[in-house]
Amino acid sequence: MLRREFLLVAAGALASPGYALAQSREPVLIGVTGPLTGQYAQYGAQWKRGFDIALDEINASGGINGRPLQYVFEDSQSDPRQTVNIARKYVADERVVVEIGDFSSAASMAASPIYQAAGLVQFGFSNSHPDFTKGGDYVWSNAVNQKDEMPLLADFVRDLGLKKVAILHLNNDWGRTAKDLLVEAVKQRGGEVTGAEGYLADEKDFRSAIVRVRGANPDSIALIAYYPDGAQLTRQIRQAGITLPIVAGGSIYSPKFLELGGDSVNGVLTTVPFFPGDPRPLVQTFVKSFTAKFGDEPDAYNGRAYDTMILLGAVMRQFGIERKAIQEGLGKIKDVPSVVYGKVAFDPATRRVADPFVSRIEVKDGKWVAYEGAKPAMR
Amino acid sequence: MSSSLGPWFDYTINGLVVGNIYALLAVGLALIYGVSHLINFAHGSIYMVGAYIGWLCITYLHTPLPLTLLAVIVGCGLLGMAIERIGLRPLQNAPRIAPLLATIGIGLVLDQVAQLIFTPDPRGVPSQLPDWRIQIGGGTIGALDLLIAGIGIVSALLLYVFLRFTKLGWAVRATALDRDAAQQCGVDVNRVNSAVFAIAAALGGVSGLLVGMYYNSIDPNMGFQVGLKGIVATMIGGMGNVPGAIAGSLLLGLIESYGIAAFGTSYRNLFAFVVMILILVLKPNGIFSRGRSLPPEPLTGTFIAPSAPIRTPLPVVAGLAIIALALPLVVRNGYVLQTLGIGWLYAILAISLTLVAGTAGMISLGQAGLLAIGAYASGLLAISLKLPVTMTVAAAGVITAILGTLIVFPSFRLRGHYVTIATLGVGEIVMLVILNWDGLTHGPVGLSAIPPLSFFGAPLLSGTWVYEISLGALIVLALLQYRMLGSHLGRTLRAIRDDDVAARSYGIALDRYKSLAFGVAGFSAGIAGALMAHVFSYINHETFTSQASLLALTMVILGGLGNISGAIVGAVMLVSLPELFRAAAEYRMLIYGIALLLLIRFRPQGLLGTV
Repeated sequence: MLRREFLLVAAGALASPGYALAQSREPVLIGVTGPLTGQYAQYGAQWKRGFDIALDEINASGGINGRPLQYVFEDSQSDPRQTVNIARKYVADERVVVEIGDFSSAASMAASPIYQAAGLVQFGFSNSHPDFTKGGDYVWSNAVNQKDEMPLLADFVRDLGLKKVAILHLNNDWGRTAKDLLVEAVKQRGGEVTGAEGYLADEKDFRSAIVRVRGANPDSIALIAYYPDGAQLTRQIRQAGITLPIVAGGSIYSPKFLELGGDSVNGVLTTVPFFPGDPRPLVQTFVKSFTAKFGDEPDAYNGRAYDTMILLGAVMRQFGIERKAIQEGLGKIKDVPSVVYGKVAFDPATRRVADPFVSRIEVKDGKWVAYEGAKPAMR
Repeated sequence: MSSSLGPWFDYTINGLVVGNIYALLAVGLALIYGVSHLINFAHGSIYMVGAYIGWLCITYLHTPLPLTLLAVIVGCGLLGMAIERIGLRPLQNAPRIAPLLATIGIGLVLDQVAQLIFTPDPRGVPSQLPDWRIQIGGGTIGALDLLIAGIGIVSALLLYVFLRFTKLGWAVRATALDRDAAQQCGVDVNRVNSAVFAIAAALGGVSGLLVGMYYNSIDPNMGFQVGLKGIVATMIGGMGNVPGAIAGSLLLGLIESYGIAAFGTSYRNLFAFVVMILILVLKPNGIFSRGRSLPPEPLTGTFIAPSAPIRTPLPVVAGLAIIALALPLVVRNGYVLQTLGIGWLYAILAISLTLVAGTAGMISLGQAGLLAIGAYASGLLAISLKLPVTMTVAAAGVITAILGTLIVFPSFRLRGHYVTIATLGVGEIVMLVILNWDGLTHGPVGLSAIPPLSFFGAPLLSGTWVYEISLGALIVLALLQYRMLGSHLGRTLRAIRDDDVAARSYGIALDRYKSLAFGVAGFSAGIAGALMAHVFSYINHETFTSQASLLALTMVILGGLGNISGAIVGAVMLVSLPELFRAAAEYRMLIYGIALLLLIRFRPQGLLGTV
């Protein structure tokens, strides 16, 4: 995909009548900071695709009260040194009405004081760090709260009849917080955690970690991982001859998980807030336009990016495009349709969304399918 | 489930399997080092290119394995020759440090090009080998493990035969021993170099493909970390020693695996780097060297070539400083001020590095570790003891000076590249201790709500304040360092750099002066780290990575080693260039890499020259 991106990404179906009207007026601008180069670049590319589908939809239906909605995407490499610069740029640019990003906590939270002081909403849709929204009343997030997600995963583990879980988790702020919450949730449900191993983001070989996990004699293994490392872990667990059921946090959900994991990932179970096989019409419309435009099925980040843009569009349509109005609007808005939550409303005190929609899914014959309720077979 | 042989047997097998993978990379690195005394930082990128060539062949041309391997060998061999011819040969007569920097730039360019062509998404590489596995202990070994081991051993044997018994092999060894003498005897040194790069790159490419198949996953950034591991393995085996590189790799694999066994998965690298430093300190030439004494390292003395620095008269510098201080009166753009402010903070880091690397001759790749110590010290003092920020920043400087000197102290007896790798290890160790020492540092969750810079309780949040405070700190620290370099201390440090044996024979206590240099550098770097912590308000182990150390070294070399104004110019340039190229979006880091390469090509002694 060699695609020359321009600084301004104008989106929209040119043929639709709403767009013709919207196009004629000054665009409403959203500032995005995220990784387009560097080690996390793939995630920035995924965001863009989700944003673009949402903008097509918003601008085809009249934009923001007749003005087209657009975004500027500044590459931060998810590096705090660069996010603070971009933050200054956005707060000084009067056209930018709200900011989205960044990816990693270190990069996002470094910029929060600048957005907070300037009164520009920083909207982090991937920021599950428990302290992220504590940056101030201009810092909001619709990232799935791990306080919600991990108990749901623990429910799944319990319903599967699994009692002794060993956890393999990514050892960063996200993985660590999730692990602690999962341990707590499993114990509350009468289960036991026999061991937890944290690995670093750039590791690829988990054989020795797996020996430790096996030594803990679990009856199942839980993964808190992204899709590349999740696929790697699963492959190596199976190659080590371990046939225990594998349950994973929803972050592994991606069509790429199947490609990278090959045959090994059959039988992996997970709970996801967003799943293209979800029959809700909202999800199906999104999946259809996404597949038509990009030829792939959307994954977790595509879905969240789409959701975020739709949400901000709804806030602007209802409450206006003043920076202050958007901040207040986020606290008041109700029932925005969402592929992740069903319907979105924020708790104005925590500036987060509760109760994500959850589907239980599994990999069957190399495909993600809805979990039918059968007990997991030992492979 | 568990094997009868017990888990330790499994850990051993796992360690060997992983070491096996490192070995393929380490052999190429050792070969290049042996001949051109160059640590090739682009090797990881060649490995990535090899993986992608293989992936292209398998996916689009459906080639069988032997043909795929051949394509990778030819493709990467040519790439290696091109790197040598275009990137490194023009720097032959430049200071030795210039090619090192060039390899960093080439690696960056290759990674960026791959990312533009293939997108950053990881891809699966289907293995072309039969999918059978042998049960060994509690784990299994597959056909690919055996192939990797086979290729490792066969290539080492072939290399041995080539180096011992062929004419070109003799020439390679002669060039490795003494380049000028070899040339005098009629050896075509350029051809030798070209051959070495082709062989090393072909090996690197093959390992990239095999590892890609092994994990069924390749991505444009797969090379950096693996490249570092390869360098560490080579170092353990002894630089330039090909069989040593293989043994060193297996050993590194074992060390990591036992580290996991004994302490847990997150201690893997920590344990490996600590062992590496122990090995370096006890056997400074690698564990397979004979004797403990260092041979005359051909790099000391000539490593940093003297050049005529551009002397900027003091009034001009003072004038520039005043203009810089007054800039916020004219420029009101917060973005510009913030960018320059971050530039000043990195300039503090750069002057600290230019003191140890340039003036004292200890090229350090662990400077980000000092930043991290300063940042955490100040952050923790401000959060838990609620001390005023002015005090915590100063305290962070002192703490970093002391801690930094203590942890680098064991490496003082090392020279040349060994110092570089030891300090790289120290930087990683600092990062990993921060990650694992939960009770103090909150582990991966990091420090949040670090209070902003303030003056008697009034927060100083605006871009202007970030700019002025950083610039103020920079000016004070730069003046201190300038005074120090002008005194006998500066002369003594330069004497140690240029010839430590001579310096010692004149009664200079090397350790004390090196400690002094690291102490002063630690103080500056600690202040820079502390200021960054308060500007960012949140830090974790990912804030200060080995990439930041590499960036700092690039700034210093670019500006001219040992040159304070040069370090400042280098820092401001390297922080602002990527910002200037923003309009190029995905292309900006590529443009940055090319700009860097051009600068090295046409100004290898640094913009302002070495002092």
